[in-house]
Amino acid sequence: MIQLHEIYEVIPLVLIAFAACAILVIEAFSKKGSSAVYGFSIITVTGAIAASFLSLNKELIIFNQFLRISNASVMFSVIILAGILITIIASKNYIEKENINFGEYYSLILFSVLGMMLMVFANDLLIIFIGLELMSVCFYVLAGFLRLRQKSNESALKYFLLGAFITGFILYGIALIYGISGTTNLAELYNQKKLFTNYVFIIGFALFLIGFLFKIGVFPFHMWIPDVYDGAPTTLSGMFSTAGKIAAVGTILPIILALNITNFKLIFSVAAVATMMYGNVIALAQSNMKRLLAYSSIASAGYIFVGVAAMNEFALKGIAYYLIAYTFMQLGAFIIVSILEKKDDGSRDYKNVDIDFYKGLGKRNPLMATFMTIFLFSLAGIPPFAGFWGKYYLFYAAIQANLIWLSVIGILLSLIGVYYYLKITVYMWFHESTDLVTAGYEKEPVSRSGIFATSLAVVGTVVLGLDPNMFFRIFKMIAE
Amino acid sequence: MTNELLILFFIVGIVMVAGGMIISHIIAPTSVNAVKEETYECGIPTKGTSKIQFKVGYYLFAILFLIFDVETIFMVPWAVVMRELGLIAFIEILIFLFIVILGLLYAYKKKALVWE
Repeated sequence: MIQLHEIYEVIPLVLIAFAACAILVIEAFSKKGSSAVYGFSIITVTGAIAASFLSLNKELIIFNQFLRISNASVMFSVIILAGILITIIASKNYIEKENINFGEYYSLILFSVLGMMLMVFANDLLIIFIGLELMSVCFYVLAGFLRLRQKSNESALKYFLLGAFITGFILYGIALIYGISGTTNLAELYNQKKLFTNYVFIIGFALFLIGFLFKIGVFPFHMWIPDVYDGAPTTLSGMFSTAGKIAAVGTILPIILALNITNFKLIFSVAAVATMMYGNVIALAQSNMKRLLAYSSIASAGYIFVGVAAMNEFALKGIAYYLIAYTFMQLGAFIIVSILEKKDDGSRDYKNVDIDFYKGLGKRNPLMATFMTIFLFSLAGIPPFAGFWGKYYLFYAAIQANLIWLSVIGILLSLIGVYYYLKITVYMWFHESTDLVTAGYEKEPVSRSGIFATSLAVVGTVVLGLDPNMFFRIFKMIAE
Repeated sequence: MTNELLILFFIVGIVMVAGGMIISHIIAPTSVNAVKEETYECGIPTKGTSKIQFKVGYYLFAILFLIFDVETIFMVPWAVVMRELGLIAFIEILIFLFIVILGLLYAYKKKALVWE
């Protein structure tokens, strides 16, 4: 039986759900081009972050055992909300520039956040499925939000077809898991012994896992990532690659840890190596900034899976830290690409996303070039920034789990990554602007909201880099 | 034990699907004639191309109808056990109706209900 007081425990979820519905109505009643919806969604997400901290240090199973509140789930939802907040702040200027200033944009983002939060709070496979679908359906629509642009449509259709196909895998997996264990409740599932001696359960769990590997973009299931991130509106590509992945990792990781499936260790290690190798090597040859960042996000999924393969207490810590660092740096980089993108002129393609455009950016726009440098250094894993500690904790977890070969390969492969991140930096500071860029270049002032959003990401990257333990102190995890 | 069941499950699954197709292929009487080859066997012959433009209004109406259709599906089971579930279920159904009404309001303001 549901108790009314249980509502207090899920205030962030209720806030987001209410706001997502309310935005539709507010938008319908407000004048065209008004920014009421924009302000409302920022306030809601900020409120949801603040309310999340109320649920810290609780261990509850509520709503007929459908939701579980724990520090890990609160932490994942705060990371997701932080990413969403930065995305929304940066979005206003972008969607005005691209002539897609519709209130539904914010509503769809908030509905997808609701799905993500349901996923990380879920204590039942069905809630995970509902959350995943809510997130995915909103993502399909958002990927095609630039309706008149061919690439955006292509991206939405590809994402939809592949995503819908993978949904079948997840559902069949849940069906087989239920068939063997007789429950969809995760807490009851964890208590059952000898599940992994049963082949049907292993098949079911593998199918379930495949769905999440697809959403995270791990090696054999990564094909959709470059095309979708390339075609989707740029701010949203940033959101897909951070919030969407975090939700998937935040859902599957506690399940993997709780079931303690040590016999999957080798599979995860091989997947991690293949993902890092694929992402980093293919990114070397990219000439489009959005595709480069997409491949870098595949490589990041590989680093995360180094932690998943470790499967010890350091892994959760390392992955959580890497995810928050990754949110700031990856999202920041995507937002800068969106800020520098050319205004919509009815063309079929995105303008100013080639890496040649970044030549001489240090002279043309020193502030954005500096921010971009910070994000790229952090992604490359250069010490004072958060990305370094993220990789450090992940490889440390792998070493603790006696996977020394995995961490050696991981470090070597992340060195390949340094090349293409630094290449952009060199382009920005040590090259002259190409004639093509200077000829068609008109100096556009960067909007205040854009500067604010990227500054938030920079502050996150730098502060977490200077004091890595701060994050763990907040969420009361093991501090070294 | 369960592994044998699994194999049995797959075999039965394959037999059920493939067997049905094979049997119907063997025992079904076949007749081939010109009328049967037409697109619409039992209707008036089509005129012109089939790729015509639909009015998008049909689509909007269909979606709105679907929402209220699904709403009924949720309402009826609640109504059957309303007394046992009590106040909380009543509040929940009110929240549900509120969300549906918000959707209708949205459709109304966006002029989805106007047939032009």
